Formats: sequence, structure tokens, C-alpha cells
Amino acid sequence: MTLPQAEVQTQSTEPPGAPQSAPKAIAGKSPTRIAFDRLRRDWLAMASLLVVLVFAVIAVFAGAIANLFGVSLETPLASERINLISQLPLEGPPFGGFDPEHPFGVAPRVGTDNLAVWLYGARTSMIIAASAAVLSTVVGVIVGLLAGYLGGVVDRVLMFVTDLFLTIPFLLAALALAPILSDRFGTDPQRLGEIQFYSVIAVLTLFGWMTMARLIRGEVLSLREREFVQAARAIGVPTHRILRKEILPNLVAPIVVAFSLALPAYVAAEAGLSYLGIGVVDRPSWGQTVAGAVQWFDVYPQYLWQPVIGIVLLVIALNLLGDAIRDALDPKTRR
Amino acid sequence: MFAFIVKRLLAGLLVLSTLVVSIFLLFWYGPRSPVQGLCEQRTNNRCTADFRAQLEENFGYNNPMLSELGKYVAGIFTGRDIQLGANTFVECSAPCLGLSYRTFVPAFDELVRRLPATISLAVGAAVIILLVGVTSGVLAARRRGTVADKALVSATLLMSSIPYVLFALLVYLYLNVINEVFPEAGYTPLTENPVAWLSGLLLPWLALGFYNSTQYTRFSRGAMIDALSEDYIRTARAKGLSSRTVTFKHGLRSALVPIVTIFGIDFAFLLAGTIFTEIIFGINGIGRWGLEAIQIEDFPVVQTTVLFGAIVVIVANIVVDILYGVLDPRVRIS
Repeated sequence: MTLPQAEVQTQSTEPPGAPQSAPKAIAGKSPTRIAFDRLRRDWLAMASLLVVLVFAVIAVFAGAIANLFGVSLETPLASERINLISQLPLEGPPFGGFDPEHPFGVAPRVGTDNLAVWLYGARTSMIIAASAAVLSTVVGVIVGLLAGYLGGVVDRVLMFVTDLFLTIPFLLAALALAPILSDRFGTDPQRLGEIQFYSVIAVLTLFGWMTMARLIRGEVLSLREREFVQAARAIGVPTHRILRKEILPNLVAPIVVAFSLALPAYVAAEAGLSYLGIGVVDRPSWGQTVAGAVQWFDVYPQYLWQPVIGIVLLVIALNLLGDAIRDALDPKTRR
Repeated sequence: MFAFIVKRLLAGLLVLSTLVVSIFLLFWYGPRSPVQGLCEQRTNNRCTADFRAQLEENFGYNNPMLSELGKYVAGIFTGRDIQLGANTFVECSAPCLGLSYRTFVPAFDELVRRLPATISLAVGAAVIILLVGVTSGVLAARRRGTVADKALVSATLLMSSIPYVLFALLVYLYLNVINEVFPEAGYTPLTENPVAWLSGLLLPWLALGFYNSTQYTRFSRGAMIDALSEDYIRTARAKGLSSRTVTFKHGLRSALVPIVTIFGIDFAFLLAGTIFTEIIFGINGIGRWGLEAIQIEDFPVVQTTVLFGAIVVIVANIVVDILYGVLDPRVRIS
């Protein structure tokens, strides 16, 4: 019987400086190394990573890329670009051909450049998704660690809160909460847009940490009975140190997987919230463009398709990448 | 089993009462002025501080919070009269969840009026989810490892990667607006005109059903593969039963247990929040009501919709837990 290759590699503990006499030297590889190697061999994962990286570059350098194409968010005067009666663009799509000044065309009625809006929209979507994913991961990991490790009353209270949040339908709650948040904190009308931006992130985080908390709690429940944790406890290591130094490093794989699968969910959720009109208002976002483009759809479908393609491509790439990372980190799957 | 049900019901009751109180508190302390929207609306967007103060007085926002919470909770059980003006009262019978600030109709009455639309939508979609999802999952499991199986699984993965709001929107625009392939979406009560009910809901059902069936394809494929690898399946095969009997009578029956339990929760979420479907296809259900209420800061209505959604999910959780014991003898014993 032959063992699968990766297992041979993980189990080999060759002492440093051992004589390299064997015809085929077995190199010691860390589990992370193995995961990376598996990921690199997966062409679908690499393609998705490339797409995600392209979007990340777009998000970071949105301004520079917009300058490169010679477009900006500012509109000199809508009447220069818009037919005032039909409210549709004078040049470029939907009726004209390709307009080099505005590669994606201009928006109906307001006449802003679509490419610039699209680029900055990518930035908004990714910032919101990434912040919400990071924040909900932090909250979920802390709750899960405490509930799982401390047990008893702490566990019961935290799990009650988790279950409570799980019973609240996300969209209805977001609908109720987002306006309240912006009303409460948006006392300064000039900063209202900014407040709304943060309240979207807050709402996404508030209703997104529960799965992570449950996942981590389950892992911690089994980890805390392991010998190395008991040994640490026996020699009197303080609890916060056990959590940080003994347990947390063993949770990296599930955290990475859950995080990478949360990202696309937040991109989609942000688009959904914007479509319902409770998303960001002070800066362009894909969801906002989608919501605005629906009424122009019959004459100007390109206007709707631009953000749709952006969202769909990003979400699919992130999902595929997340799946691939999960497979790569899981020693049980072999492809 | 009886002790388990009682325990489960008590836990559900605790969650429910926590929710009622926290939702009340959210709308009490949350907005700077809970009657701002009402004030704007009564005065055509020329709300004055005096009028707002008067409204706050009328709606009891100047009273202590606890006494108003008491009134709210008592109203749920016994009903109450709500004071509008100096001498105008509106009777709000139990279960009273407050008055809509827009119409001054008890929110619960409006909820009941809109419920059939949401239920029709959810039930129709649920039928499609189960039919399409479970059937394709079982077929994929029977042909496990073939090209057809792999193609089906990747197709479902790809489809569930598209955000639902975009999927529904594109379905609506392409199949209902640009090309009138399907009859115009909308809701007509079943009792009024069954044909219009069916034709108006056909496209929303298909959109909601097909989109959500993808996860059931994957899930029932997995459950079915597990079930088909059990010993009793081999026994059934060995004693010469037809492949069909083995798959459906022996395999599917045990694979259905986890599917049904997950479906219970999902159905509750369908009932609680088909907001996108209702808005895109123009169905006057609960989700759309909630969104419209938010836009004019009609907080009692928003409160009611959130509460309704949560109650549906809590009840579904309890039902599923109990049902699980009934369906699966192994759970009952342990």
C-alpha cells in the first residue's frame, strides 16, 4: 500500500544535516507550505486570484487609473454631454459608437463618466466588503474563543446572543437599523454621507459575525482538551496567553477559509443594500449604479451591465478562490 | 420527548421576549426623534419643533420608557386604544403592535392583509426549490462522478455566486420587460382570480425557486451519496430490489431527513424576507411594506415587520427541532 504523497511529506521529520544518501530526498514541508503548493497547482484558483488582484489594484489605484483614461467623477455641465429632452448621452453608447473620451460612455441625465464611477465604485465595494469581513471576523473569533474556552455561564450567554442574532432576518434588520444609525449619528449634514458609509459597514458586521463565532467555538471546544493546552494550563500560563499563543495559531486555517468566503458574501450584500436605497450615498458604488440604471434599461442596457459584470465577476472569483483555499488547507480532500 | 418539547418552547419564548424588548428599545432610543417622519408627513415637509413636540406628547414619547414598554407588551395580549389627537382614539385590538404612522391603521391588521401575497410567493418558490433541488441532487448522486454530475455541480456553484438581487433583476428585465416571455408579474389574490394569481406569480416563483434550489442540489446530492453508501442499501441491492426502489424508497427516505430540517429554516427565511423579489416583481407583500415604511420613517410598521420575521424564524426553529425527532428515530432515542 502506498501512502498519498502529501502525507509522506508531512510525516517526514528529517533531522537537519542528515546525510543525503537516499536516492530521492524527502523534504520536510510545513502544512502551510503544502497548502500553498496545492493552491499553486490549482489553475482555477490562480485564475480567480488574478481576477481578485486586478480588482484590488483597481480599487487601490482608482484615481490613477481614471487619470490614465482621462476621465473623472466631475461633470462640467450635464448639458454638454446629455440630450436634455431624452436625457440620454449625446455621444457614445447607447446610440453612438465607441467614444474614446468616455470608454464606458456617460450616465444618462447627470452625464458623469461611467468608467470613473465604475472604478471608484469598485473601491467602495471592496473597502466595505473588506472592512466588514475583517470586523466580523474579529468579533466572531473573540466571541467564539471566549465561549468555547471559558464555557459555563459565559458560553451560555454568548451563544444565546449568537442564536438571537441568527433568528433576525438580515435584510429586514438592516433596513430598520441603517436609517436609525445614520439618523442618530448624522447630526452634521455635511458628514451624513460619511456616517451612512460607516453605518453600512456596521450593519454588515452586526449581522455577519455569528457563523464565525459558532465555527470557532466548535473548534475551541475540542482544542482546549488537547494535551498541549492542558500542559500550558498546568504550568500556570494565564488564560489570555493560552488563547493567544496556544489556541489561536491552531485556528488560522478555519479563520482564513471563513474569511475568504465571507468577502464575496459582503460584496453581494453591499450591492443588495445599495439597491434597496440604504447603501452609501456620498461616493459611487456598484449597487447604487445598478439601482439607478434599472429605469434606463430598455434604451441603455450597457449602463446596467457595467456594474453587474463587475459585481458578478468579483463575487465569482472570490467564491472560487475561497473554495480553493478551503480545499488546499483541508488534508482530507485530494484532487 | 415531552420534556424536550417543553424545554425547546421555553427557550423560544425567552428569545422571543428578548427580541420584543430589544426591538422596542431600538426604536425608542435609536432615532433622534421617533415622530420626525410622521411630523414631516402631516405638515408636508414643513415640520415645526412645536408640532413635533406635540406629536411626541400624543404618542407617549414623553412618558417613562418602562411604562410605554409595558403598554406595548400589554397591547400585544389585550389590545389597547391609542390616542392620536386630543380627543381622537384609535381602537387597536389584540395583538396590537402599534399604529402605522402613515395610515393610522393598526400595524397588525395591515400585516394580515399583506400576508397572503408573501405566503403565496414563499410557498410557490418552496415547491420549486424542493422539486428542482432534490430531483437534480438525487439524479447527480446516482450518476456520481460522471460528466453530467460534475457539470451540474459546477453550474449550481456558479449560479449561487451571482448575487440574488442581480439575478432577480436580470430575470425580470429580460423575461418580463424587454421580452414578454412571461405574463406580467404581480399579485392578485387567489380568491379573486386564480388564473391571474398563478400567471402573476409564475416568474417570481421561478426566479426565487431556481436560484435557491442550487444549494439543495448540492446538499441533497451529498445526503444521497451518504445514504447510498449505508449497509442497508447494499442489503437491499443484494436481495434483488430494483435500482429505482433502492434509490427512492430506501435511499431518499433517509436522505430526506436532513433536507427537510434545513428546508424548514430556509422556508422561514423566505417568509420573513423576500424583500428583493417583492420589490423587483412588484408584489405587495411584507418585505415591500417594510421598505416603504423605512423610507417614510414609519417606525411602528418597521418594528412590526422585523418582529414578524423573527417570530417566523423562531417558530420554524422549534418546529424543525421537534420534527427532527419525529422523522429520525435515532434522535428520539438518544
